Amino acid sequence: MTLRVLLVEDDRELCRTLKDAMTAEGYDVFTAASLSEAFALLTGLGARSANGAPVDMVLLDLGLPDGDGEQLLAALRQKHTVPLVVISARESDGQKVRLLDAGADDYLVKPFSIRELLARMRVGLRHRGTSVSPAVTRYGVGALNIDLGTHEVTLAGQPVHLTPTEFNLLARLVRSAGQVVTHRQLLADVWGAEFTEHTHYLRLYMAQLRAKLEDNPADPQLLMNEPGVGYRIVEPQG
Amino acid sequence: MIPLPGIDASADSWPAHLRRAGRALREAARSGTVAPMTDDEPNSPRRMARWPWAWAGLVWAAAWLLMLGLDRHIGLAQAAITLVLASALAAIWLPLVSSLLTTTAAVLAFDWFIVPPKHSFSIELSEDVLLVIEILVLSWVVTALLARGRVLAARARRSARHADQMRRLGDALRDAEDPLQRGEALRAALSDLLGQPARLLVLRNAAALPENDAASTTLGDPAPDELVGLWHCVRLCRAFGPGTGHEPELPALYLPLRGTDTEAFGAALIPLEANAPHEDDVLVQAQALCDQLGQLLHRARTQRQAESAHALAQSQAVRNALLAAISHDYRTPLAAILGAASSLKDQGAKLAPEQRERLTQSIMAETRQLSRLTDNTLQLVRLDAPGVKLNLDWESPDELAGAAIERARRHDPERRLKVWAEPGLPLVRCDAVLFSQMLENLIDNALKYSDAPAPVELHVRRHGGHIVFAVRDSGPGVEPAWREKIFDVFQRGDWRTGTHNSAAQRGAGVGLAVCRAIARAHGGELQLRPRSQGGSSFECWLREEAAPGVDDRVPAPGGQERP
Repeated sequence: MTLRVLLVEDDRELCRTLKDAMTAEGYDVFTAASLSEAFALLTGLGARSANGAPVDMVLLDLGLPDGDGEQLLAALRQKHTVPLVVISARESDGQKVRLLDAGADDYLVKPFSIRELLARMRVGLRHRGTSVSPAVTRYGVGALNIDLGTHEVTLAGQPVHLTPTEFNLLARLVRSAGQVVTHRQLLADVWGAEFTEHTHYLRLYMAQLRAKLEDNPADPQLLMNEPGVGYRIVEPQG
Repeated sequence: MIPLPGIDASADSWPAHLRRAGRALREAARSGTVAPMTDDEPNSPRRMARWPWAWAGLVWAAAWLLMLGLDRHIGLAQAAITLVLASALAAIWLPLVSSLLTTTAAVLAFDWFIVPPKHSFSIELSEDVLLVIEILVLSWVVTALLARGRVLAARARRSARHADQMRRLGDALRDAEDPLQRGEALRAALSDLLGQPARLLVLRNAAALPENDAASTTLGDPAPDELVGLWHCVRLCRAFGPGTGHEPELPALYLPLRGTDTEAFGAALIPLEANAPHEDDVLVQAQALCDQLGQLLHRARTQRQAESAHALAQSQAVRNALLAAISHDYRTPLAAILGAASSLKDQGAKLAPEQRERLTQSIMAETRQLSRLTDNTLQLVRLDAPGVKLNLDWESPDELAGAAIERARRHDPERRLKVWAEPGLPLVRCDAVLFSQMLENLIDNALKYSDAPAPVELHVRRHGGHIVFAVRDSGPGVEPAWREKIFDVFQRGDWRTGTHNSAAQRGAGVGLAVCRAIARAHGGELQLRPRSQGGSSFECWLREEAAPGVDDRVPAPGGQERP
């Protein structure tokens, strides 16, 4: 079955380019140039779809002629868990973090390459797929293997000892592998809601994790930092 | 109609209690409980006033002794001359009215004791009548002339003293360094003039109205109601109080520190004893002293305005030059993109696959260049704006370095990048996004100006209370003359020694300028240091700060794994 993508973007040139690129990759693309058009399309598609989800993926621009894309995100998140990637020219990190916290799966700042967009879409789609099927419990990349069920972490076959906090932090990242998890989300999920401002905790524990898992902690290949936004563990292989 | 102190009074109203206090003082003066000053020279101490009476008495006593003692030996004319002489001498010391009265009394006594028939006011001979009248008139004229001369002399002395006082205040104001010292100088001058400690309200900037206490200074601790009066005086830019023609029943003199005829830069209050008569020129002098400070403040403000207008014009010029420089920087990549794209469109079929590949690569590379240029320009303008707020947080130097290298690699996987961080570096307080932008710019710059396969390295180390981020290349280095200039946004030119890299011709200006602006916004510095074995090291120095501790007891059990 072809995956359906809703592209909400008011710039006609960019819209056509993206549509062509995605169509070439085999997606079924619907485009909307305004908020109202996007709402209408979602309603129409939702009525026709078998499982209630109007589309399989939403790409959302923020500055639209009749409102802000954030409104669509808020409305969509009340009903659906459909993956949503924000594409915007606004490079404010406060906004980036706010949108991610509000339920956006990813955020791409214009200009971006098609390759990067397609990669982010794949990550978003994979996560929605796994959230329906049993939760991911095993993660492997390079010589590293993590089993969330048994709390076992091995590096090149050797067990790695992690403290409970280190393991919780790693597990939280693994559950969103390939996606940025904001500082606030990590602090709230691992330490508790009252620690959301304590970013220095994160720095310390991320440094400890890197020291145990990375070859060169200053040149990480596994635990990536998105300055001012959050952390991301690279996508698993295979 | 009378407002409470502190509440904005309607233009001409005064606090009622101030008026009442003035009235009470006047009544007290009338009933004699407050002694009014009688001396016509307000500054002369009272003991000086006693001596003239003594001298005058002495003169009169001597004259009468002479006239009565020698009555039989001298004629009427000699006695008359003696009387005129005594009257003239006494007039040197006595005030005009006293002098006239004493003289009149002396002439009557002369008539009684000396003019025949004695012990009677009637006069025997008609020529003696003329003599007595002439003596009276002559004495009066002499007395009046002397008194007038004395008043003029006193006025001249006062004028000289006032001029001297003005000059001294002028010197003191010039020497003073801050408004407080200037105010003190004026207070001293006013106290010297009026014999009462003055209270002052001085506006630190003229925009302090209405009644902005933070932008004003008070000297001499005015009471709250006095402060209301001072503000009122500043607002109306007019003198109030006894002798000024406005609100004469006030117990104090309120004088504006006038910068212009309509604008006051503060006000002075001098408490006055009720009914104390002041010469007009004392009031004029007090106002002149106040105006001296007012004009000084006015001049200072005008100068400040001129300076800020100049600064504004200059920053406008800088902005225009920046725009011109940037639009130049935009044209080059745009030309490359348009050239490559139009070539692909028009000649696509005729081009070999590798030529087409090269053109698309060029479009992508130039687009990235434009994107970076846009980010840098926006950041530069943002950092240049007053009151820019950084999004500071505790960041790990390793992570900042790692993220910058990773992003540089993502754009260009072929590049030779090395990163090394000293183990155990403390956290730094910075804006992660800005700081990453700086590191990426520096890496970009180093890659652009050094040729493969020489690596570009990012080193992070601790040095003398600082964390130093160093981006090092092994390129040809920068000519000594350009080592400071390359951080200037407007400088461009071939500043690399012996390079044939065309990119070097393009302004590195915006990139390095924004890097330095970012380093400085963090209280740090960005410097270029030539490396001993060739190449450059761009080093950002950030001061080490004590990071908050981490409580090992967390996480709470609730922080355990979630399903």
